[in-house]
Amino acid sequence: MLLSPWQRALRMGAAWIVVLAFAFPIFYWLTIAFKPDRDIFSVPPRVFGFAPTVQSFGEVFGVSLGFEHGLEVLPGGGNFYMLPRLWDSIVVALFSTALAILVATLAAYALSRMRFRGQHHFVFWVLSTRMMPPVAVAIPMFFIYKDFGLLDTYSGVILIHALMNMPLAVLLLKSFFDDIPVEIDEAAIIDGASRIRIFRKLVLPMAMGGIAATAVLCFIFSWTEFLFALTLTSTTLKTVPVVSSTFVTSTGTAWGNMAALGAAAMVPAFVFILLVQKNLVRGLTLGSLKQ
Amino acid sequence: MSAIALRAPRGFISDHPLPWLLPLIAILVVFALYPFFYNIWLSAHEFIPRKRGLDFVGFENWAKLFADPRMWNALWVTLFYTGFCLAVELTLGMAIALLIDSDDTGFGILRGLLTLTLVIPPAITGMMFLLMEDAQFGLIAWLLRDIGLIGPQTAILADSSLALWGVMLADIWQWTPFMVLIFVAGLRAIPSDPYESAMIDGASAWQIFLRITLPMMGKVIAIAVLIRGIDLFRMFDYAYVMTSGGPVTATYTLSLYAWQQTFSFLKWGYGATLILFALVIVLLVANLFVAITKVRW
Repeated sequence: MLLSPWQRALRMGAAWIVVLAFAFPIFYWLTIAFKPDRDIFSVPPRVFGFAPTVQSFGEVFGVSLGFEHGLEVLPGGGNFYMLPRLWDSIVVALFSTALAILVATLAAYALSRMRFRGQHHFVFWVLSTRMMPPVAVAIPMFFIYKDFGLLDTYSGVILIHALMNMPLAVLLLKSFFDDIPVEIDEAAIIDGASRIRIFRKLVLPMAMGGIAATAVLCFIFSWTEFLFALTLTSTTLKTVPVVSSTFVTSTGTAWGNMAALGAAAMVPAFVFILLVQKNLVRGLTLGSLKQ
Repeated sequence: MSAIALRAPRGFISDHPLPWLLPLIAILVVFALYPFFYNIWLSAHEFIPRKRGLDFVGFENWAKLFADPRMWNALWVTLFYTGFCLAVELTLGMAIALLIDSDDTGFGILRGLLTLTLVIPPAITGMMFLLMEDAQFGLIAWLLRDIGLIGPQTAILADSSLALWGVMLADIWQWTPFMVLIFVAGLRAIPSDPYESAMIDGASAWQIFLRITLPMMGKVIAIAVLIRGIDLFRMFDYAYVMTSGGPVTATYTLSLYAWQQTFSFLKWGYGATLILFALVIVLLVANLFVAITKVRW
């Protein structure tokens, strides 16, 4: 629509106000991570005008970063040293993403290129696993894992996160494969190439961008997942979202430390999400909308 | 020529999809189908602490479920939460999408900034809002007190009439940008011809929105409603970290109620029954929605 320069400036101003209002809580959370306790609990709460400190980060990541504030032992005997928890999250997210992509790429290629009876129902079955409330999987899985000794193990969480990402990965990858003209496969088949060869040498390289975008989204969803990690682990590993909810101690909540951990959890996700801007909407809608 | 033509289709057909799909089927059977039937089996049993084992109880859990006022309360909370958040996120999302759908320089950065809320772990978002809604030093609590919306002593998340609103605020903050991004993509896909002819005919902006934008966004809106609706209905994280369902039962969703019955009160069978009930509702409604709106994947 045609707007006068004055209207355009007004629109720009309004848009900035709205977006900054959404960004503000993130900014405020980051200030908490850099505030000394005195300023976190100041009344009334303040956004600016505090003496920034990295003490919270020191306590959370201290030992290996060499900050002078080392381990602060809590009354319960625990501490805020969270580097191993970050590691747990990374391991779970990486391996579950790899597994999901591996399985989903094969399936998505078949769903994109081959036709079989009941295909529509099959796709809908995959989609319907995305509709299940996670608690409906977590409750039985807890007992099944207990029987198979998978409770509180990396493999257990990796498997369940891979399952959780499966509908997204399959449907999204299928949409990327659908973008590649099927004539390429047909021409190669006429030349005598086998399916596997076409898949590996032709389609896979062409779909690399889409596979990377799918992997990034799977990683983020595993990184942010809470319920399965909460239910299926206890001591061996704890992902970052789970451990964040344990900062509420008997002597009060360690907001500064929690914000520092939260900041460390957000930053990689922010970087990743900016990498996949182009395919974000497609990913959020499981491949059904293209930008 | 004819030899090639004869060979090609055969090679095409002999490729069976099963080997390609087998790993996926295996994972879905073990981690989705088996738990589903395990849930059904569990719902016909109950854990007896004295025996440290399960007893067969038949349909007792289902009878208990329909007579349980807490279940009806949780269902109501879940439906209200889903409906209200969906309505707000849709309306607000559409309004913001219309505002920032522009090719002017600078709007790309705005859209990028909006994506940031989507990748924060919801459990941490819950913590953020727990802090900001704190009665003593919470920013949002102070703001609301300043404009006189809540009394000086009110703790939002400890007040049974306010707690659910406090939780919904976190959800709306985190997921309105989801709607904005989807709608912006939808708006960009609408061709410009209908707008041009409408403007030549002298249609008002509101008429254009109602007669052109909304109908052409039909599919996009349907997909957004489906995906967000499913996620809202199964909400767990915010309520778990912000209120644990309280005060009393004000923020108990079906998911949280089922989880606590199983893991906090050791009612394994009843927890399974509750979540099975939620699962049936969501599958029925989602299937109906897909059938009516004809969304396709």
